[in-house]
Amino acid sequence: MKPAQSQHAGAPADLTGLSLLYVEDEAEPRVMVSKMLVLNYPNLTVYSAENGAAGLAAFQEHLPDIVVTDINMPVMDGIQMSRAIKEIRPDALIIAVTAHSDTSYLLNAIQIGIHYYVLKPINYDELFSALDKVLGQLALKQLVELQNRRISESERQLALAQRIAHLGSWQCELPGGSMTWSEEMYRLLDHIQGSQAATLDRFLERVHPEDRDLLQERLAASAATRQPVVPLYCRIRRADASERILKVEATVMSTRKGAPVTLVGTALDVTELKRAEEEVRSLTGALERRVLQRTSLLQASLRELEHFSYLVSHDLRAPVARLEGFCRALVEDCGECRNDNCRTYAERAERVVRQIKSIIGAFNELSHYTRCGMVIGEVDLSALARSIGSDFQRTEPERSVRFHIADGLVVQGDQRLLRIALEHLIGNAWKFTAKKDRASIEFAAQAQEGTRVYFVRDNGAGFDMRYVDKLFKPFQTIHSPGDFTWSGTAIGLATVHSIVLRHGGTIWAEGEVDRGATFFFTLADEPEPGSYYERTH
Amino acid sequence: MRDRLIVLIEDNADDAYLAMRVIGKVCADRVIVARDGEEASQLLKNLAADGLHSRVRLVLLDLKLPKLSGIEVLQEIRSSELLCGLPVAVLTSSDNDLDQEHCRALGVLDYIYKPMTIDRLQRVLSQDKEP
Repeated sequence: MKPAQSQHAGAPADLTGLSLLYVEDEAEPRVMVSKMLVLNYPNLTVYSAENGAAGLAAFQEHLPDIVVTDINMPVMDGIQMSRAIKEIRPDALIIAVTAHSDTSYLLNAIQIGIHYYVLKPINYDELFSALDKVLGQLALKQLVELQNRRISESERQLALAQRIAHLGSWQCELPGGSMTWSEEMYRLLDHIQGSQAATLDRFLERVHPEDRDLLQERLAASAATRQPVVPLYCRIRRADASERILKVEATVMSTRKGAPVTLVGTALDVTELKRAEEEVRSLTGALERRVLQRTSLLQASLRELEHFSYLVSHDLRAPVARLEGFCRALVEDCGECRNDNCRTYAERAERVVRQIKSIIGAFNELSHYTRCGMVIGEVDLSALARSIGSDFQRTEPERSVRFHIADGLVVQGDQRLLRIALEHLIGNAWKFTAKKDRASIEFAAQAQEGTRVYFVRDNGAGFDMRYVDKLFKPFQTIHSPGDFTWSGTAIGLATVHSIVLRHGGTIWAEGEVDRGATFFFTLADEPEPGSYYERTH
Repeated sequence: MRDRLIVLIEDNADDAYLAMRVIGKVCADRVIVARDGEEASQLLKNLAADGLHSRVRLVLLDLKLPKLSGIEVLQEIRSSELLCGLPVAVLTSSDNDLDQEHCRALGVLDYIYKPMTIDRLQRVLSQDKEP
């Protein structure tokens, strides 16, 4: 016997899990060869048996992958045992160790399916080389099995993914129309897999008749131009008469001119998406109808309001003018009358009439701001505030008021209206700081919850927060007469409110008696230039 | 000095009364009143026919009139050969009634907001040049 070599070219690196049964009736070689096997293939599990019968029993017990067996043995010889083993496990790999070289044994061995022969006395190189070949075969088999498992696993994953996504895939040969469909494709088309060959005709029979021509056209066009199929939606009629919508897309595989074309495509079930789209469309339609309804209602009530303001501005003015005329006549003519009360009453009545006239004027002014057209453009509020501030300073040069005006407050809006609003706000600040030694008026902006909030702040008379709700209502004042110069009819803040509303904004105020007031307002980024009033005049 | 005339075209009785009172305080001219546009038109034609149009010192014209409107009366005056030079002041109670540009184009002497005061009428008459 030659000593075994420690390295074997071509032997698979990993033998974990593989086992070998060595059957030999002579004790000495059995022990010797077993030891050599263990020594040279440390990962291989080696069993041994002393004859065919014991070998068969060991095989049944351990089901080894490889059997190395002597042929001539008592009780049961190697040939008999191998035949029995092959019946138990046809893929068992058998290496025969034999002194025989007569052909009858060999023929038997070939019939049984013994793979390799090693002649006795055993030459280890020969044995190991045979064993390496067998192990190589086993490794290859394992590799193929592993690949197969991987392929079927990814196929299973793909099928599942397609199932979840409701996405079928297909392949179609043109001309001819023979197809292959993925599992999900069968489900989408409501065909049973394996019942009939997949063909374009069987695809088309499920497509809604109105969509069939388009699908055929698109596929044919793609085959002719070798360009991807222009995606399209087809309605699919299932056996139970329910309808699904598929989005069909495909690309061309073969691009050689004249050769048959293979289209590889997908079909995505977009029924729910399409239904949701339909729902959104109908909801949008309903919403638009409701907006129209509301708008016309709003316009109707605004028309009434307009009639009312026309009545106030127009029909009321004439009788008020008459009343004023008679009061004047009284005042003028009662100079001739002896009764002093007469003249006092006439003068007072005349004052009342003037008040009524100024209220009518204010009312008209206010309603003008709610319905006049707006010209939207870029407005530099900082520049406006500075110009308004210096105007006030010019009218009362003796007053010392510090203006703090932030730079670069540029907005979209109506220049004329925004100027009026700022004039009122800064005018209020100017008026209510009249009694302060160190008056200060600030115009700036701050970010509040992502919105730019502009504010006009003063350190003047302020106001009691209890009356804050009255501030923006017309014809209401929260300062007692005589406290500050009477400025007409108290519509300034109502006007500002109206202008801010027209610019899609809101306005609010904070104040404290003797600690100043702050008026905050916001403006829409892009205010609507239109008015709900229809242009009737 | 020949009698001079002031023509007052005013449909409202109170307004007419008030205007006549003020006119009476300002001057001693005779006042002829027309109550609507048609009446005014006829009155002015008659004055022209009788050769009295040159005596008209001022026409006080309310714009809102029944039948013919104040503007229409004014247009008739300006298109008439004899009457076209008459001084006309417009009476109004609201800006809404007043189409200033139109009036200016038709050569209105002045606009008077109601109620007309003594001062106001004096000023208007002082603008008026003797025919």
